[in-house]
Parts: sequence; C-alpha cells; structure tokens
Amino acid sequence: MNPFGYLGSFVLNLLNTLGGLSTMLWDALRWTVRPPFRFKLILEQMESIGVKSVPVVIFTGMFTGMVFGYQCYFGFHYFGAEYMTGMVVALAMARELGPVLSAIMVTARCGSAMTAELGTMRVTEQIDALYSLAVEPLQYLISPRIIASVLIMPVLNLITVTFGIVGGYVVVVKWLGVNSTIFLENISYYVGLDDYLNGTVKALVFGLILSVVGCYKGYYVSGGALGVGQATTQSVVLSCILILLFDYIITALLF
Amino acid sequence: MIEFVHTSKSFGNHIVHRDINLKIPKGKITFIIGPSGTGKSVFIKQIIGLMKPDSGRIMIDGEDMTRMDEKRLLSIRSKLGLLFQNAALFDSMNVFENVAFPLIEHTSKTSREIRDIVHKKLLQVGLKDIDQKYPSELSGGMRKRVGLARALALTPELMLYDEPTTGLDPIMTDVVNNLIEYTHKSTNMTSVVISHDIKCTLKTADNIAMIYNGVVVAQGTPEYFQSTDNPIVKQFFTGSADGPIKIY
Repeated sequence: MNPFGYLGSFVLNLLNTLGGLSTMLWDALRWTVRPPFRFKLILEQMESIGVKSVPVVIFTGMFTGMVFGYQCYFGFHYFGAEYMTGMVVALAMARELGPVLSAIMVTARCGSAMTAELGTMRVTEQIDALYSLAVEPLQYLISPRIIASVLIMPVLNLITVTFGIVGGYVVVVKWLGVNSTIFLENISYYVGLDDYLNGTVKALVFGLILSVVGCYKGYYVSGGALGVGQATTQSVVLSCILILLFDYIITALLF
Repeated sequence: MIEFVHTSKSFGNHIVHRDINLKIPKGKITFIIGPSGTGKSVFIKQIIGLMKPDSGRIMIDGEDMTRMDEKRLLSIRSKLGLLFQNAALFDSMNVFENVAFPLIEHTSKTSREIRDIVHKKLLQVGLKDIDQKYPSELSGGMRKRVGLARALALTPELMLYDEPTTGLDPIMTDVVNNLIEYTHKSTNMTSVVISHDIKCTLKTADNIAMIYNGVVVAQGTPEYFQSTDNPIVKQFFTGSADGPIKIY
C-alpha cells in the first residue's frame, strides 16, 4: 500500500473508532436513565474497579512521590532551594501525576479486564443471550461500568495524591533531612483547593475514557480468542493515548 | 404466526438470503434445515431482532418487526425463548443464577417462588442437584439442558432452538429431541428449530423448510420431504456428496 493509502486508512480507522466511542457513550447514557435502574451492578463495579484497585494506586502514589521527592531535592540542591521540594511534589501529584498515573494503572488493571470480559462474552454469545432474554446489554453491562469508573476515579486519584505526598515526605523529611514544618507549610501555602479540584476534573474525564474505550473494544470484538487478545491490547494502548492527549487539553484549558 | 416477506440479507458481497418468503405457523414445530453456512441461524437472529434484513419485512402476529422501536422489541423478546447452539450460559453465574436470571429480571416473584420455578424447570430438563455448579463444570449436554431450562423459565410463547442436538451423542440427541417435543406439547407454544439432523427433523417436525443458496428450496410436511423428487432435498436427506448441492 502506498503512503497515501496508509494515511487514508489510518484516518478512516480513527474516525470510525471515535464515532463508535461517541455512539456507545450516548447509547449507554440513554439506557442509564431508563428503568430498571442498576444500582446493585454499579456498586459491584465500583468494588471491582475502585476497592480492588486501592493497593495498586497506593503503591503507585507512594513510590512516585518518593522518587519525585528524591529527584526534586537533588535539582533544588544546586541552588539551595531544598525547602521547596514538598511544594513541588504536592503540586505535581495533585495536578498531574496523581490523575494520570492512577488512570493508567486502572486502565491496565480494569480497562483491559473490561475488554477481555466483554469480548469473551461476545464471542461465546453471552451478550446475544442477554439480548434474547429481553435485557438490554448496554444497560446491563456497559452503563454500570462507565458510571462506576467516573464516580470512583476521583477517589482513587485522591488516594494516589495523598500517598504521593506521604512518599515525598518520607524521603525528603525523614531521609534527606528537610525540615518537616517547612515541607508542610510550603504545601499548604502554595497548593490550593483549585489544584486538587483540577486534578479531580482530570480523574473524572480519565475514568470516562478508560471505561468507554474498554467497553467499546470488548463489546464489538470479533474473531474469537485472537480477536479478544488484540482488542485488549488495542484497548489499553488507545486508553493510554487518549488519557495523555486529554491530559494536555484539560491542562491547557484549566491552568 | 411469523412471516418472512421478501426478505434479503447479505454480509459484504456474500448474499445469505435472497427474497425469502417463509411462514412459521402458530402452535407448530417448524424445522429450518439446510447445509452448514446457508444462513439458517440468521433466521433466528432476525426473529429476536439481533439482525435486520436488508430488505423485506418480518411479521410477528401482524406486526412488522423491522419497524419496531427498542421498547417494543424488548417487550416482544420477553415472550421469546432461545436455546443457543453452545447454550451461551453466563459463565460468571452458577446454574441456579443462570436459570433464575430471566425470572429476576422480568417478574416480581419472591425468592422462594423463583427457587421453586428454577428447580421445576431443571427437573423438566432432567437435571437436579447442580444448582451451585458453574457452566465450566458441566458437560456439553448438561449445558444445553441448562440453557433450555433458562429459555423456558418464563414459559415463552415462541421457542427458538439453534442446532439443539449438534455435538451431542446419539442418546443425548434423543433426550434433547424428546424435550423439544415434550415442551412443545405441554405448553402449546410455537417452536422453530434450526437443524441439519434429518432423523430428529422427520421425527419431530410439523413443518419443514429447507434453505439452500439463499432461497427456500422446499417447504412442507415431513411426509412431503420424504416423497419429493427435488434433487437438492434428496441429496441432503441421503447425505450424498454427489448432487446439485455444491460443497466448495
């Protein structure tokens, strides 16, 4: 295929995927507001996506804060501004690292699982079975996952940010010897509620992205086990790309 | 009654149905037979609304399915039961939860009533004491019977079977076949069976329609199919590789 052919095919695939994602989101929202309301399924998904992801995001937040504390300390050390380390760690965690890293970890843990689970249900006709039993699959399978992801991601983000700051505190204060009061005072002086709220907005959007992409790629799988495997890979890659892309867009709009 | 009126369906360049006219009478068992890959299952998918024909109409009791909105389609589907070729049980649920699923979704029965109905339906298909087993722990025949119990849970007015005996041993084939006959007679429902099992077809069917190359090549009673000179029907019934049915 010539380069124009590749470009044309890439653009068509991209538009097709974006169209599919938008349609799925719209359909899922339409089915969400129609009875029967699936509160139990939403809670189950919140447990699966949220509660079970807590150890992973604690680990991610803690070590990111620790390593970031180290790097910032050595950077600031060159011009004697080590006392600013706490503020930079907290600011970076709240605005950027918390929402992005927690979303990427949840994509790896739950977005991929959504695609694999729904994909397997598709190829084994379980989605068709739901349909034949007069239960709308979009309402039963997709809406609860999307709602749960959007609701739970800000909470996971908050946990990541909190443990990131704790990790930074441990390294910078306990191991590198920066004064504890200065570390905490700088955080409370320079990092405002706005920074946390903007991080929360990002977490909401990322929760939407990872769940819609995970569901879309799984729901429309074809090609048996091979298709499920490929869809799962595509789902994680596409979610991560969209998360990074929207991270920039939201940052440019909000800050 | 279900009626396919001049329906056509194709996937890309592959034409599956061309100008199909088929009547499925109420209260009878209609078998749709034909070689593999001739679009038999497409009939069932069109009846439950999973697929729409490219052209033509599908009438259910005088209503055109192709023009129904989602709400109406959902209410129509709650009167249908479908046994999938591979049973399509929900693998995250055990046997009890699978059979209870339509009852929980569509009725306001108490958990005791649901339990009684589930056990009755499982007994009806010859199964007991397997409530807690998961689909992965069941044999093919058992899965099919649980699938049948789930499809029958709401006592549907129309029961659809997609190759119910494919992959089963001869004894289990007869058991499933008897079940189809028994459930049909005991509830007087309309049944549509997709099959290429000649013996079962002749034994159980009230009406048979044979599809080949996208068209209905013959339609009638089992007696008609046994006596017809149609070369396509004859080749299919004798299971011969030689004849008008192309293998490649």
